[in-house]
Amino acid sequence: MTINNLNTYFDQLSHYTELRVQENKTMQITFLKGNIIQNTKESRSGVSARVYKNGSWGFASSPEMDEDNIKAIIKHAEGNAAFLDFREKKNRSPLQVKKSNVEMDLRTKNQKLSQSQLMDFIKEIDAYISKKYKNLSERMLTLKSLTMEKNLITSGGTSLYSMLPRTNIIISMTMDKNNEPVQLFDIIGGLGEFEDNFSTPMALYEKIDSLYEHLAKKSEGVYATSGLKECVMDADLAGILAHEAIGHTTEADLVLGGSVASNYLNQLVASPIVSLVDFANTYDGQICPIPIYIDDEGTEAQDSVIIENGILKGYMHNRGSARHFGVEPTGNARAFEYFDEPLIRMRNTAILPGKSKLEEMLSSIDDGYYLMKSSNGQADTTSEFMFGVVLGYEIKNGKLGKAIKDTTISGIAFEVLKSTTMISDEMRWSSGGMCGKKQWIPVGMGGPAVKCTVNIGGR
Amino acid sequence: MTDNNTIEYCLNALKDVGADKAQCVLIRNRKYEMNVESGEISLFRTTFDVVLSLVAIKDGKKGSTSINKINEEAIREAVTNVMELAETGERDEAFDISPHQVPKEFIYGDSEPDMDKMHDLLKGFVTKVKEIYPLVNIMESQLTFKHVIKYFANSNGVNFKESRGLYEFGCLFTSIDKEKSSSFNYTGCSMKKLEKELLELGTVRKLLKESIEQLDAIAMEGKFVGDIIITPDCLGDFIDYYIYTFLGDKALISGTSALKDKLNTLVASPKFTLTSNPISKDICEGYFITGDGFEAKNIKLIDKGVLKSFLLSLYGANKTKLKKADNSGGGYIIDAGEKTFEEMVGNIKKGIMVSRFSGGSPSSNGDFSGVAKNSYYIEDGEIKHSISETMITGNLLELMANIKDISMERVDFGSAILPWICMSGVTISGK
Repeated sequence: MTINNLNTYFDQLSHYTELRVQENKTMQITFLKGNIIQNTKESRSGVSARVYKNGSWGFASSPEMDEDNIKAIIKHAEGNAAFLDFREKKNRSPLQVKKSNVEMDLRTKNQKLSQSQLMDFIKEIDAYISKKYKNLSERMLTLKSLTMEKNLITSGGTSLYSMLPRTNIIISMTMDKNNEPVQLFDIIGGLGEFEDNFSTPMALYEKIDSLYEHLAKKSEGVYATSGLKECVMDADLAGILAHEAIGHTTEADLVLGGSVASNYLNQLVASPIVSLVDFANTYDGQICPIPIYIDDEGTEAQDSVIIENGILKGYMHNRGSARHFGVEPTGNARAFEYFDEPLIRMRNTAILPGKSKLEEMLSSIDDGYYLMKSSNGQADTTSEFMFGVVLGYEIKNGKLGKAIKDTTISGIAFEVLKSTTMISDEMRWSSGGMCGKKQWIPVGMGGPAVKCTVNIGGR
Repeated sequence: MTDNNTIEYCLNALKDVGADKAQCVLIRNRKYEMNVESGEISLFRTTFDVVLSLVAIKDGKKGSTSINKINEEAIREAVTNVMELAETGERDEAFDISPHQVPKEFIYGDSEPDMDKMHDLLKGFVTKVKEIYPLVNIMESQLTFKHVIKYFANSNGVNFKESRGLYEFGCLFTSIDKEKSSSFNYTGCSMKKLEKELLELGTVRKLLKESIEQLDAIAMEGKFVGDIIITPDCLGDFIDYYIYTFLGDKALISGTSALKDKLNTLVASPKFTLTSNPISKDICEGYFITGDGFEAKNIKLIDKGVLKSFLLSLYGANKTKLKKADNSGGGYIIDAGEKTFEEMVGNIKKGIMVSRFSGGSPSSNGDFSGVAKNSYYIEDGEIKHSISETMITGNLLELMANIKDISMERVDFGSAILPWICMSGVTISGK
């Protein structure tokens, strides 16, 4: 993307204004049973401006990023704000802004592979699977990359340049059992371009072999027994629990919209061994899957401590909600495409590690489940959450038993966290997630293993 | 360049670099959107975008790319990229573009929004909801005017143009009474013209009223196998799941679809007829050009329980040697049944009415499980109370085979016309 020096437009910003130039690039190669069904590159770039006038917002965007268009978009956004302000007459005071400046370029420093080399990489993995696992009825490999490059200035004097890449390979296998397909997938990769995540096809073979072993067991699996059960949720599920069950419930727009979390600030909502944080960019000295340093309102990003030792400590904010609640904004306002307005979004949401070992957690359950992989999930204002479970095992008398077929778990978020009795001492991030609200956006989710009680769907 | 010149430039450029077959789609998209947040109109947003998608097939290999710039420099770069994708791709005889058809232009709806009326209607909606349903909080709502011009052309001489303008309304809401909150719910409607109050569209009024009842939802206990009534708002999701799991490209190419050998056989109750109607005058959120460049037609997918068509694209049809569908899906209409809604409820000994389903994606064999949201318990022919913490588990194929009743009443969402449907044999479980 040709990044314009947006600072030259600073004098054009007469009201509270965010001016953003952004380019999203995606690439996807998909092999289905050896057939290439997708081989695509996409790029969308443009300029947008968002203006705040007396409590009303105006937003305008255009794909053209020349000087005349940028000036026109600023005026257009001001016009939209004025249109609404004239009719709404809210007469609210201006939003307070602080100045920050960040440049964060995370593009690869490694030698870039050619398109041909990328294709060969995927074909080699596909060939490994088809040669070794001849009894699969379907195999699907997808290489997906997303880069988000943006340049932002605000009327408060903030400037941001960021280039944030993410690359994943998704491996899906299906085998037939009694003429019915049984499927399992894994998502590998995360922050960085292809060259930062993947070295050789052989480096993935161990994960592929492990995926197949689990699939084989799942094909012999049983339906879960429905009802309330003690479970150990592996890190993958702990992350989605943090995101769906608690995270969404504590986004300030949902809190204002009626989330029950509005009633529980500074109260015990979880076991005292539970702490949950939405990290801005760094955890334990390591960069997080979606590192945010300044959000799309120009707020310097801080960690949002949501639950500390079981107590609900705060929510995730944009400027408007922070003012409403009388707190500092946390840098959670993000937009996905150049034509999207910033919304309150999570960044890197995780339950913090505890002190237990996974083995002792599993052996502590007489009749329950070890839940390992999830699919999609959803939250609710009542704090009832659900997510799909695509890999899990029975636990009988402290030992792993049969695998279970696909199921769904649900619960009331704070009740589930209050039922938490053990948390493992390891932390793992999953870095392929996308969160849907009005817009999609990449998110990071993480956690240790968590032992708690949830409602399982089954027969 | 004019848009037609841009299309011609793209196709010529692709042929010049050696494409055997080329396709170009140019979309101009204008959106005018008014947003409500927490019960007040907060944002007026206008977005203008252009998307240029190119496909090149060379030596049986295919590449595709999409950009949102249409100057010559950007097009030349995109042409280079798409040819590189094609040349590094894999050969597949199934890759193709649509054959020559008579060029046509299609026009639907207005080309400019009435922004004052949009604001007045949205303001009126927000005000009325506060007056009539004071416990309801509109978390977010949008009233949008979209105008899309789509050009579709290829090296076989296909040359279509479609211009479509329509309004879309959506709202997401919950009810709050002191410390109690109901489960959020949402609904929406598309329309050609702004002729009705927003409160009178689709199921808006009904669901707002139900949202207040759901403040007193009772958590279900125990487990039983019973009947479910799926409401029109929820039915769209189940139809989408069914089509993706059994009738679409991926399911049929991979061979995982349980219906792959079931064309012209009974796959659902004979009470059930499902059509896809993108060009029907009754469907405003339709289309005239399919995703792979054919003039769209309305089709019967299931006729009195008999599977009449898959939803295969050109590629999917070539790959599976099955018949290509005459459209790309959407615009679903289910024929009305013979029972009134009250009669359907009256026939239920023990079951629930499911208004929203929150669940994991169904398995390849159609197994599903998830939470029944905004739902109601039915016993001895009466709707008793709203329920929470209730899961349903079943199988999509079994659901369709076990249809007990379909209602006479249907809801027109603009994008679909759907009834209430009662199915049996679903596991319903509480805490």
